[in-house]
Amino acid sequence: MSALLSMRGLTRRFGGIAAVDGVDLDLAPGIITALIGPNGAGKTTLFNLITGHLTPDAGSVALAGHMIGRRAPHHIARLGIARSFQDLRLFARMSVRDNVLCATEPASWFWQPGGKAARKARAERALAATGLEALARADAADLAYAERKFLSLARILATGARIWLLDEPASGLDPASRARFSALLRDAVADGVTICLIEHNLDIVIELADRIAFLDQGRKLAEGDPATILADPHLAAIYFGERA
Amino acid sequence: MIAYLLNLAQLAAIFGLLSVSLNILIGYGGIFSVAHAVFFGLGAYAGAHVALDLAPDILLAALAAALIAGVFSALLALPALRVRGEYFVIASLGLQMLATTVFTEASDVTGGLGGLVGIPPPTLFGVSLADPLVFLLVCLGALALALAVVRLLMRGSFGRALMALRDSESAAEALGKNVPLLKTLAVLLGGAGAGIAGALFAFQEAFVNVESFTLDQSVLIMAMVIIGGAGTLAGPLIGTVLLLALPAALTFIPGLPPTDIGAVQQLIYGLAMTLLMIFRPAGLAGRRAGQR
Ligand SMILES: Nc1ncnc2c1ncn2[C@@H]1O[C@H](COP(=O)(O)OP(=O)(O)OP(=O)(O)O)[C@@H](O)[C@H]1O
Ligand SMILES: [Mg+2]
Repeated sequence: MSALLSMRGLTRRFGGIAAVDGVDLDLAPGIITALIGPNGAGKTTLFNLITGHLTPDAGSVALAGHMIGRRAPHHIARLGIARSFQDLRLFARMSVRDNVLCATEPASWFWQPGGKAARKARAERALAATGLEALARADAADLAYAERKFLSLARILATGARIWLLDEPASGLDPASRARFSALLRDAVADGVTICLIEHNLDIVIELADRIAFLDQGRKLAEGDPATILADPHLAAIYFGERA
Repeated sequence: MIAYLLNLAQLAAIFGLLSVSLNILIGYGGIFSVAHAVFFGLGAYAGAHVALDLAPDILLAALAAALIAGVFSALLALPALRVRGEYFVIASLGLQMLATTVFTEASDVTGGLGGLVGIPPPTLFGVSLADPLVFLLVCLGALALALAVVRLLMRGSFGRALMALRDSESAAEALGKNVPLLKTLAVLLGGAGAGIAGALFAFQEAFVNVESFTLDQSVLIMAMVIIGGAGTLAGPLIGTVLLLALPAALTFIPGLPPTDIGAVQQLIYGLAMTLLMIFRPAGLAGRRAGQR
């Protein structure tokens, strides 16, 4: 299967440290690829390089064979790559519904292309799928923790993007919310969405991932099917901080 | 007394237009500009020149003022909007100081310190609007129009995009929003609104000079927005009425020497701003701290 999104030699330095260091990674279409690794491994930085929030010092990103590196974030978003943020970055002083509606409106002028009714329907579906309908009129700032996490997902769902980059979307969720979250991701994948999931909780990774890439100190140490990666004692030692 | 009140009401409508237009930047776009008086001034000079050199037609003057102030604000903002929020405040402060100097020195265009005098009373399609009550209605009409435009835009996708970037630029970008374009459009709209206010002001005073377009004025407009409630429709109007009524009310306090009014006024402004930021940071029309 050819990759939908492929990174080659992606590198980004901050001062002396290489946060991402020559990473090659392919996201195969229609599956969940989990990106794991210890704190500071460069997972979030890798997302920022894909989405244009950071420019790479070297390397390339290709979407379905077309180079998309060095474009502005809004250009990349409009190609159908949606992302969440580790710290959510909700539109705090807007209502839940407006947060989601906003995600269905790609144009930045005074009008939007396409049908308004279809956009509204997409926003309402995203609210329903994330269980936020009853809170649609509340300000995002007033939501509880799990609700905030779901709003961040609802925004992505509403974009209609085919590639989702999710930065620790399930951290801190209670079991019921986690089940809802897993179901949401599985539905998306069943619809053909391609997902890259940064996740620290290995239970969630085992439950959801079709493939795992392991990052440490900016470098991709391993990539493969979950059973193989998680059985590797060397990687486990790094992951659990038993570094020599 | 009636003439005094009509004059005050005209001023209130004009400053209402100023604060409503600045609210697009501060309240909805999160763009803190302390240069709004610059665009007020550009509009006033443009309007005055149309009236003096062409015809005192209010529509023509307002259009010219909106165009000049809008285009200048967008042009000046383009480089500055690329810097982070904190730096924009400084950049706009620099612009304000620069503009005050230019307004003072470019006496061929602005009349320098002496200003432009003898601006004829406004007309509309040849009908005189010289009557103070009629002119007040014109000013209120302009304010109502501005409010309607802001309300329409802020309930639509443009307003959502603008508020989104106010709350998180990177998240707005990740949803496909062209942040520099949105900010430029917001600045252009705000500038055009200030320009129209300037043209009205030129007719209202029949005279314009640089003293109305200084940093003090920019700070006053900003205070109107913030005290009233940035990012709300009614907030800037409340702030405008309060801050304009204050000096007027002080003149009625018996025993307060007129020379002290300025100082007392500054004291009250300062105290009000400080107390407000502590107890009601979202402004009078905004939500109370901790309110759900
Ligand atoms: N904007 C930045 N400026 C300077 N250093 C940065 C910046 N962003 C990330 N870094 C550094 O790059 C390295 C990788 O950070 P990154 O946030 O990508 O790690 P991560 O794998 O997402 O970690 P975590 O699991 O804690 O979220 C860290 O050492 C971090 O301090
Ligand atoms: Mg991270």
